[in-house]
Amino acid sequence: MTSQDKIDALYDYVQERCLWQFFSRSWDRQENIDGILKTATDMLTGAPPAKESPMDRLFYADAKIMVADFKQRFPWLGDAGAAQVRELMAGLKERLVDITITNSKNGELHHTLY
Amino acid sequence: MGCEITTKERAGVINPMYDCQPAGAQYAGIGVKDCIPLVHGGQGCTMFVRLLFAQHFKENFDIASTSLHEDSAVFGGHQRIQDGVMTLARRYPELRVIPLITTCSTEVIGDDIEGNISACNKMLKQEFPDRKIHVIPVHTPSFKSSQVGGYSECMQSIFKTITTAKVAPTGKLNLFPGWVNPGDVKLLKHYMAEMGVDATVFMDTEEFDSPMMPDKSISTSGSTTVEDIQASSGALASVALARYEGATTATYLHQEFEVPAAIVNTPYGIGNTDAMLQKISELTGKPIPDSLIKERGVALDALQDLAHMFFANKKVALFGHPDLVIGLAQFCLEVELEPVLLLLGDDNSKYKKDPRVLDLKAKCTWDMEVVCNADLWELEKRVKDPNYQIDLIMGHSKGRYVGIYNNVPMVRVGFPSFDRAGLYRKPTMGYAGAMELGETIANTIFTHMEYNKDREWLLNTW
Amino acid sequence: MPMVLLECDKDIPERERHIYLKVEGEDTREFLPISNAATIPGTLSERGCSFCGAKLVIGGVLKDTIQMIHGPIGCAYDTWHTKRYPTDNGHFNMKYVWSTDMKESHIVFGGEKRLEKSCHEAFDEMPDIKRMIIYTTCPTALIGDDIKAVAKKVMADRPDVDIFTVECPGFAGVSQSKGHHVLNIGWINEKVGQLDAEITSPYTMNFIGDFNIGGDTQLLQKYWDKLGIQVIAHFTGNGTYDDLRRMHKAQLNVVNCARSSGYIANELRKQYGIPRLDIDSWGFSYMAEGIRKICAFFGIEEKGEALIAEEEAKWKPQLDWYKERLTGTKMAIWTGGPRLWHWTKSVEDDLGVQVVAMSSKFGHQEDFEKVIARGQAGTYYIDDGNELEFFEIIDLVKPDVIFTGPRVGELVKKLHIPYVNGHGYHNGPYMGFEGFVNLARDMYNAVHNPLLKLAATDIRGPVATPVKEAAE
Repeated sequence: MTSQDKIDALYDYVQERCLWQFFSRSWDRQENIDGILKTATDMLTGAPPAKESPMDRLFYADAKIMVADFKQRFPWLGDAGAAQVRELMAGLKERLVDITITNSKNGELHHTLY
Repeated sequence: MGCEITTKERAGVINPMYDCQPAGAQYAGIGVKDCIPLVHGGQGCTMFVRLLFAQHFKENFDIASTSLHEDSAVFGGHQRIQDGVMTLARRYPELRVIPLITTCSTEVIGDDIEGNISACNKMLKQEFPDRKIHVIPVHTPSFKSSQVGGYSECMQSIFKTITTAKVAPTGKLNLFPGWVNPGDVKLLKHYMAEMGVDATVFMDTEEFDSPMMPDKSISTSGSTTVEDIQASSGALASVALARYEGATTATYLHQEFEVPAAIVNTPYGIGNTDAMLQKISELTGKPIPDSLIKERGVALDALQDLAHMFFANKKVALFGHPDLVIGLAQFCLEVELEPVLLLLGDDNSKYKKDPRVLDLKAKCTWDMEVVCNADLWELEKRVKDPNYQIDLIMGHSKGRYVGIYNNVPMVRVGFPSFDRAGLYRKPTMGYAGAMELGETIANTIFTHMEYNKDREWLLNTW
Repeated sequence: MPMVLLECDKDIPERERHIYLKVEGEDTREFLPISNAATIPGTLSERGCSFCGAKLVIGGVLKDTIQMIHGPIGCAYDTWHTKRYPTDNGHFNMKYVWSTDMKESHIVFGGEKRLEKSCHEAFDEMPDIKRMIIYTTCPTALIGDDIKAVAKKVMADRPDVDIFTVECPGFAGVSQSKGHHVLNIGWINEKVGQLDAEITSPYTMNFIGDFNIGGDTQLLQKYWDKLGIQVIAHFTGNGTYDDLRRMHKAQLNVVNCARSSGYIANELRKQYGIPRLDIDSWGFSYMAEGIRKICAFFGIEEKGEALIAEEEAKWKPQLDWYKERLTGTKMAIWTGGPRLWHWTKSVEDDLGVQVVAMSSKFGHQEDFEKVIARGQAGTYYIDDGNELEFFEIIDLVKPDVIFTGPRVGELVKKLHIPYVNGHGYHNGPYMGFEGFVNLARDMYNAVHNPLLKLAATDIRGPVATPVKEAAE
């Protein structure tokens, strides 16, 4: 599998199973994508995930389940080294930001008020 | 005390008895074939009413909305009316009638309905030169009257718009039954067939009880055609069965086209049915046939088994449409039931002076209350009052919790009846209707006796 | 062309921007249906109004609150006996509805006095009830009645009552959605933070966007009880007015219906810093996922696993029984919006069911982003579908069952297609583990209904079996 295929697989999972990338506004989506993927990357590379603030624990909750599913569905992720994990997760983030924020056709994303 | 006619004292309503005018207007409109009512207002005015009809009939009826949005509330709804009419005309090639039904919002913003219809008629003629679509102005704001008045208003508007010429005499009878179920339409048609009277029922809603067919065809629709409505001006007479539901249309045909109009007591019960048949016989010259005398006899026979055994001295509360409630009260007297509470649900000032109500007042030998502009909280308060005895409730399904949570047997009758199966198919009028009602009352009381272990052994041998 | 112009829409070609047929490899950067846009008049759209979204969907669910509808009688009549949201205190919310029964004179001269009187009457008639929501409707908004001023006056006269006001005339917005929004934002700005909460657990949350349809909230509550999580407020299933004034006290907001109630979750985040966790509380696998996430947040993962194991042991065998028999069934979902994205993947994963067409009454583009991400290629995604479109879609995808409202269900019945009530359910609750089995059961019984074959049989014409055979 190429890196691109792997990123595709991770991306397909997130789109199919997760809701945090579809929050109401572009900044909410960015915050979730940044936070959850950082925590997930930490967990996948053996670093302790942050759990101090309530938002930390929220990211942890979403990330934990995603990482467990990743490991189960994608053994190559569990086998990958830290550098590869970071590369794949960065690629995943880029895809998610692109589809849910940058190039999303959702006009409400940029309203200032909820 | 005798009979007291009062009005609800509270200003506000808790648990309303009727929906608003547009709902009634829509009910009249769906009785016409190739007709889609267009309700000019917020989407709820259409959607809630379609749901209400679906609850009652377990069927879908086609009704459209002009989908009033905020911009129209500010700038007027004319564009939405025109778009609505043209969109319907284009997408439904068989469409012939569009009642344009106003609501509180569009009456308040003051949209010029007649002017808009003129504009629509021009556009329709231009785009569809070979079609005639009748767009009917129906003024039914919700802050006046109720669904009862709305039904009457729409009926009259449809005829005013479509029946514009005196046609050659048809020898037919116009029959305006009021807001009734398909079961009643079927019964009335049966009576006319037995009498050999060529009658047109307005509106003919018999096909509302529509089937699942092998070819998947959908026939849930009114059967009254534009031609039927146009021909009404040549009828030999109009007979209106409900003073508050459609009688004004009979009056209109009389005033405009000299079609003699008779308003009879709504034919609930034996006596009222007798009077209706006698009136029709008088108007048409056709005798009352033996077959109907037999039907009458079968009904009497069935009711005779019930009256003094089970019905006598039972105190009944009635609520629903005024003609229904008054008619049912008259029927109650025939079978020894004691109507003690009549609830009429809107502020029509005519109820107090209704000759049938005054007649009941004169006849009743027990305490009876007629409450005008009533809501169902008035029922609930009395049911809960230990000093006020109510043995049976008769009314529509929105009163169901009063019966259920206070352990009082309740017969569902009127509109809507959504918590019982198949009531729209049964007659409530006529001899068969009286028999049906009587037996339903009896079976309801019997079930209540059994579940409450109240002398359930009485039914061992009856 | 992935955006679809149906035959029946040739006279309203703008509908093409609302109907999407997903093709493998496409995503919502390229194609996303227009949503939450003005309705085309006269189309027989399925949409309701803003008042409906405020009162019928959210406010009217509360079990201890008078619902005072300021307007003519119809809005009250129409939102009474049309929902199935029980309560644990005798279904007060379903038994009663209140109206100021505005008449012409009030429209002309103003209805504020009428409203004030109605409020006092309502409190007098039910002395045990101390909370009220007042809603404006089309005409009372048009004439500019100041319901806030009236509420303030009534509260001054009755210091033991509290009243919330919602300006939700039917013509506002384009659908029920506007009513959701107005109520959410009004509530957080005016009522949240007014009361303190008694904290009985180290783990506290609000459950937002669940209205106890068929007992859903009460079913899920059993899970929270088992996990030892205190639910400060339910927005608004089986909920109380005062609990909703305590929402700021929760550590976490769990959101199911993001469409109707995402707004208040966002504001609670913004104003109080409370994190928002979106889950699907419909779906067997989704429920386990949701419980895992909530427990991960609170650090009680073991308890979560124990609960999930218990529930799966109880219900998975039945689910799998239905899955075996429902696999390959084609389902259409024509509901408000969120159930499209809650159900499309869960029925596929948990029951082997294929969703072939979905229509949303009031979903926004956000809802379409979610459902298109989760849904299949070859499926139709429709914003604000109308009746003629439904017929054409049925011909195209030939669903075996449609989850939709009773009226539309009664329409498709004629086409020999069974429906399951996608709003109030057939035999719910449908949330949680047990609920999804209920959903499966209703779907199975719907699809295997022998009456459908009988309806399709035309008994006219030559008899298949000669009489002779029967005699032998």
